[in-house]
Amino acid sequence: MSALTKPGTAAVAARRARVLENPWLFILPALAVYAAFLVWPAIQSVGISFTNWNGISPVRHFVGLQNYVKLSQDPTALTALKNNGIWSGVTIVVPMVLGLLLAVLLNGSSRLAPLLRTVFYMPAVLPLVSVAAIWGWLYDPNQGSVNAILKLIGLGSLAQPWLGQDSTALWAVIIPGIWVRTGFPMLLYLAALQGIPKELYESAQSDGANRWQRFWYITMPGLRASHLIVFALSTIESFKVFDLVFAMTNGGPGNSTQVLGTWMYFNVFQYLQAGYGTAIAVVITLAALVFGIPYVLSQIRSEKP
Amino acid sequence: MTTDTTVLATGQALEAQPLRPKRRGRGSLAGTIALVIAAIVWFLPFVLLITTSIRTGSDFLSGGPISWPKELTFQNFTDAWKVGNFSTTYRNSIIIAVVKVPLGVLISAMMAFALAKLRVRFKGAVLFSVVLGLTIPIYIALVPLFITIKDIGLIDNLFGLLGPYLAFGIPFEVLVLHSFFRGLPDEVLEAARMDGAGAWRMFFQIVLPLSKPALITVLILDAVSTWNELLMALTILSSDSRKTLPLGLLNFTGQFSTNYGGLAAAILIAVVPMLIAYGFLQRYIVSALTAGAVKG
Repeated sequence: MSALTKPGTAAVAARRARVLENPWLFILPALAVYAAFLVWPAIQSVGISFTNWNGISPVRHFVGLQNYVKLSQDPTALTALKNNGIWSGVTIVVPMVLGLLLAVLLNGSSRLAPLLRTVFYMPAVLPLVSVAAIWGWLYDPNQGSVNAILKLIGLGSLAQPWLGQDSTALWAVIIPGIWVRTGFPMLLYLAALQGIPKELYESAQSDGANRWQRFWYITMPGLRASHLIVFALSTIESFKVFDLVFAMTNGGPGNSTQVLGTWMYFNVFQYLQAGYGTAIAVVITLAALVFGIPYVLSQIRSEKP
Repeated sequence: MTTDTTVLATGQALEAQPLRPKRRGRGSLAGTIALVIAAIVWFLPFVLLITTSIRTGSDFLSGGPISWPKELTFQNFTDAWKVGNFSTTYRNSIIIAVVKVPLGVLISAMMAFALAKLRVRFKGAVLFSVVLGLTIPIYIALVPLFITIKDIGLIDNLFGLLGPYLAFGIPFEVLVLHSFFRGLPDEVLEAARMDGAGAWRMFFQIVLPLSKPALITVLILDAVSTWNELLMALTILSSDSRKTLPLGLLNFTGQFSTNYGGLAAAILIAVVPMLIAYGFLQRYIVSALTAGAVKG
């Protein structure tokens, strides 16, 4: 302000104002942090994945694609890849179907809806470590509630150490995954259902369409955009699986519940194979980007008025 | 009287709502019952946690995990608070959230505003590159981040988490805020421009006050994910006195392996604040998930 009081400095002030107006000043802080702590480390990782670095010593040699070749032959990595596939398939499809079912049912019942919506979404706000603690406790072979409930309903013969054996451990981790992730599609579908015009249902009904037909020919097409979004977000999310497996089974027993994320972590921080671990991370990221790029493009394009 | 009989005839005696269309008819009672049963199953883990946490160890052992408690106690909570080191992990989680979340939302809002309302070259490319970060798993940055943070001397320091937490929060915050800011009418900003307002004044005095719902939404969702983060914290922090809540929880469950009441109480101590916060703020969380980030 004081600059304006002196004649002749108005032009300087105007120039300064224009400099301060520069839109890049708004963009730079976030862009700098994003570049420094996400983009640049990610690029560095690609470099590290071509070395035999152990993560500590100053010595690191370029080994070309050796880590990637090793990855394709490492039995644990292949188990992890298979587990990632199972994890993704189940935790994408089941929460989507359950979420849709809940949304359609909740869209009808008015008074209970807010309470039920809260109950079904609640697990999603908990730290995954606490979800792991809850379910680890429920699965306890001797004092856990899962086996106790099975005994109570006469299925005591099915009681077993759920997290302690190869055959059940992965599925025992997937169940809380479903518990956590069903609320999100439910909310999305609920919101989308509000957008389907009631008149469509009314005229279909007067044409004699039954419930199933109304669902199949009005609801499902009306939710097409939501299906795509839920699918894309669930897929992206499923590549990030780490917390539940790490906290519930630590990849075990044996390596039976290992996923690529935990296998990466163990390689880097326990087996001191930073180069190899980083190669695993690169592969997960590339897979995530295959689904991520179309999703991000669609989100940004739909922004246009 | 006539209304009563028609209501009864369509099976809606308990939920007589004359203004509602008849669409909700027979099927809905079965649907409601199915929903209520599903909700009870969904809620069962919480019920079991609560019943176990308020009973004595001997009561638990004699009755079994799914019986109703007979001897009540709150001792489990005081034990768990001490053994779980909760006063430390709560404090650390609060410190990092209080510093990180407002700062992250501010710089993201600045960027989102410029990309939505100002003339910027390469706008589309910047937006795309930043939002793409939403899909990138934190694994890919883990090793170089660990090295960098060690180099700048912030390893085993809460503030070592700040940079990575900010960076990984920005994509989501920018996506939501950008789509909200775009919806603000240009006329308001033009009027302010005519009155001589610069971009900063428009941002702080017009855009931010008009965007309270979007800002609150982003603040909450960012706080939830910051509060719950495990992997980065696991990599950066090692001393017990520096641990955040998820780390603390990860490390101490073993110490309760024979004390189920204590373990249940500890889990409740860890989750109840999130559940209470969610209860108060669910309106915003719901609107965020259904509007901003994920529209068709």
